[in-house]
Amino acid sequence: MTIRKFLTMAAGVAALAASVSVMPAAADDSKLEELKAQGFARVAIANEPPFTAVAADGKVSGAAPDVAREVFKRLGVADIVASISEYGAMIPGLQAGRHDVITAGLFMKPERCAAVAYSEPILCDAEAFALKKGNPLGLKSYKDIADNPDAKIGAPGGGTEEKLALEAGVPRDRVIVVPDGQSGLKMLQDGRIDVYSLPVLSINDLVSKANDPGIEVVAPVEGAPVYCDGAAFKKGDEALRDAFDVELAKLKESGEFAKIIEPYGFSAKAAMSTTREKLCAAK
Amino acid sequence: MEWDWNFVWQIMPTLLEGLKITILATALGSVVAAVIGLVFAILRMTAPKPVARATSFIVEFIRGTPLLVQLYFIFYVLPDIGIRLPALTAGVIGLGLHYGTYAAEVYRAGIENVPRGQWEAAKATNLTGRQTWIHVILPQAIPPMIPALANYLIAMFKETPLLSAITVLELMNQAKSVANSSYRYIEPMTLVGVFFLIMSLISVVFLRWLEERYSRLEER
Repeated sequence: MTIRKFLTMAAGVAALAASVSVMPAAADDSKLEELKAQGFARVAIANEPPFTAVAADGKVSGAAPDVAREVFKRLGVADIVASISEYGAMIPGLQAGRHDVITAGLFMKPERCAAVAYSEPILCDAEAFALKKGNPLGLKSYKDIADNPDAKIGAPGGGTEEKLALEAGVPRDRVIVVPDGQSGLKMLQDGRIDVYSLPVLSINDLVSKANDPGIEVVAPVEGAPVYCDGAAFKKGDEALRDAFDVELAKLKESGEFAKIIEPYGFSAKAAMSTTREKLCAAK
Repeated sequence: MEWDWNFVWQIMPTLLEGLKITILATALGSVVAAVIGLVFAILRMTAPKPVARATSFIVEFIRGTPLLVQLYFIFYVLPDIGIRLPALTAGVIGLGLHYGTYAAEVYRAGIENVPRGQWEAAKATNLTGRQTWIHVILPQAIPPMIPALANYLIAMFKETPLLSAITVLELMNQAKSVANSSYRYIEPMTLVGVFFLIMSLISVVFLRWLEERYSRLEER
């Protein structure tokens, strides 16, 4: 193949990419009708118990999908179909129409609020560290990690913890993107990272399953506020989001909300005592 | 979603950091592959039977399993027996071992292509085994291998994004991390493709040059 042919091909590929990129974003109010007719809503999850979990037989559970399943049932959408995704890939996937809603414990932060339409708060949790017994580096906050040139932190890619670490000034090469909880724990045990950071309930779940006396938990992390997630919809699907909010509010009121999330360890009160508006405005 | 040049310039330094690691991993990986491949080939062809057999088995084993599985093994399983390698080292060893087995086959073909008479002549002139290899066989065997080896080099280069699975911050991983915080895939992923294309095109030109140079050498 000649160089020229190569370049023509490259130009063709670029043109194709450009044409794909300008595909119209279908914004319509009939999204709910569409989901009803379809019989299910596609949700993005992360397999991070207790927020989201996939059992060995493929059954999807976890507090976030459970709440979404119940709300969608009340909206007339029979079921949810979940696909596992990296945190960072969830919002782009939502924008690209790969799923209808994110129910994964994707905490509300102003920049995320700007990118998606969140429901009212559902699951709230603080951040935690898992580290070696005795906390040899004395790490209590993301700032501590930034200040110690030897400390390496592991966090899920695109997750809140990765962002918090980077915001606290930890350089990129000391923030290790860990593909999943199990490898995070393994890397901590192997000494590849000094801290593995996840929300408190996730860390507790992971550490109790690992049952390793050499690991200890610092929770909550100093200086990191309690975050809450919500079901995240695509911008333009606000009508669906509003319908979701109405049913969610009813669920909260009837006490069923607490019944769903409290067995997982989440506090219904925490979610009910705050609002999307507050959380999205918080720095 | 629109193409945003400002964003492109903003993420360029991050991606170039990643490109550096990608090139470094490829360069080191190819050195490891070249050396390991040669060792494998020579062991297979000249070592005593049990050793040659064992080498054949290892080569077939490595060639027959996916690189990604090997990388996971080196990175996550080896620490259990006390071998803890930094991510990049683990990646270079994985790439080197994997492509070393391919290189071994290329070497074998090249060495077997040296006419039998050369071996006999070496023996007749009383050269030692070492001298025969270094002064007679390898100088004739290596030039025809170069295009095939260079091909594997390009293949290896394009496989480096697999290293992102073991947390090496190479080009693909940097692009993913950029996309993770910006929620945009179009620019980072396009740039990754463009970087790889540019590097591959340069390699293709280089490969052409090597082919020409060494085919001419053979005619001499």
